[in-house]
Amino acid sequence: METDKQADIKTLQEENEKLIKRQSIKADLMSVGAHQIRTSLSAIKWIIKMFIDGDLGKLTAEQENLMRKAYEDNDRAIGIVTELLQANKIDDVIEKKYSFSEVNIIELIESSIFDFSGEAFAHKVEIIFLKPEMKLPTINADKDKFPIVLQNLFENAIKYSNQYGKVFIALREKDGFVEVSVKDMGIGISEKGKKNIFEKFYRDTTAKEKESAGSGIGLFTAKKIIEDHGGKIWFESGKGEGTTFFFTIPIYKGSE
Amino acid sequence: MAKTILIIEDDNFLQGLEATKLKKEGYNILTAANSIEAFKAIEGKEVIDLILLDLLLPDVDGFAILEKIRQNKSFQTTPVIVFSNLSEEKDIARATKLGISEFMIKSNFTLDEISKKIKELIG
Repeated sequence: METDKQADIKTLQEENEKLIKRQSIKADLMSVGAHQIRTSLSAIKWIIKMFIDGDLGKLTAEQENLMRKAYEDNDRAIGIVTELLQANKIDDVIEKKYSFSEVNIIELIESSIFDFSGEAFAHKVEIIFLKPEMKLPTINADKDKFPIVLQNLFENAIKYSNQYGKVFIALREKDGFVEVSVKDMGIGISEKGKKNIFEKFYRDTTAKEKESAGSGIGLFTAKKIIEDHGGKIWFESGKGEGTTFFFTIPIYKGSE
Repeated sequence: MAKTILIIEDDNFLQGLEATKLKKEGYNILTAANSIEAFKAIEGKEVIDLILLDLLLPDVDGFAILEKIRQNKSFQTTPVIVFSNLSEEKDIARATKLGISEFMIKSNFTLDEISKKIKELIG
């Protein structure tokens, strides 16, 4: 009887390993495919822009109008592929494969701001980091997963800001945690959206109006990661008044 | 005298578009589609003022090329713009550590914007 049980467990473990392997191959294939599609879409984007700019000869008003429409549609497709690449990474988060260590949050924020400087430039949005004067303690975080939270919040703040808007990033130490805020002056969140904004695949109507592409997994993922770190995430917002996201993350107290 | 840009890009079509645009802007263009061609250009006689580097190449990845570029005394301060569709935090962090001027994701920018960035860096 005992031997049967052991054999069953062994079979289950083997099946599980096979599934994990298959899942990993699938994720790799999706990543390679998405990158290839993005390369082709980039070429299309550049060519259409050359037409619109008149680099390839003057267009009629109707031709230019259609080209602009094609450019917007292509950009939407790029957005969807980018979201697919992000969604591909979500399984790791859901399966809770975390590896915690001491992390310097200031360096991480500065590095993420650098990564988004191009995006901010393209959207004509300024990112302002209100660095604290006092030295902040390090945090206890997963070096690979925690930056996803910053990426999602920074990306949303830029994407849903109005042109020439500003995004403010601030942080402080509070009760054994570091509290971070990301404030934008953008479109804000609707009353209905406030109840559902952290739900998986949910997108607020204000967000859909501004950017039609988007999967609605960014904030869901951010909440999951923050809570798995032992922190909290919340926001303050009004439609048309901008949004401030706050989150807390535990201070590093040495390896256990 | 026209400034020289080395474009390291394996996709012939994209390479052609980048080269055409930058030539129109008055730059002298060198191209490489793999690491062998890239190193040949770097070790050649021509002075290179800026390198536009793709990260997904057929033989070695762009990071290895970036490392070699920085090891070469003549190229320690040459501006390098990574122009790639890789966009994960770890890729950007790795490239940044190796000393790049800018990391631009191809699908997020137009050739005009790349050209403007180049002008900002080398005139």
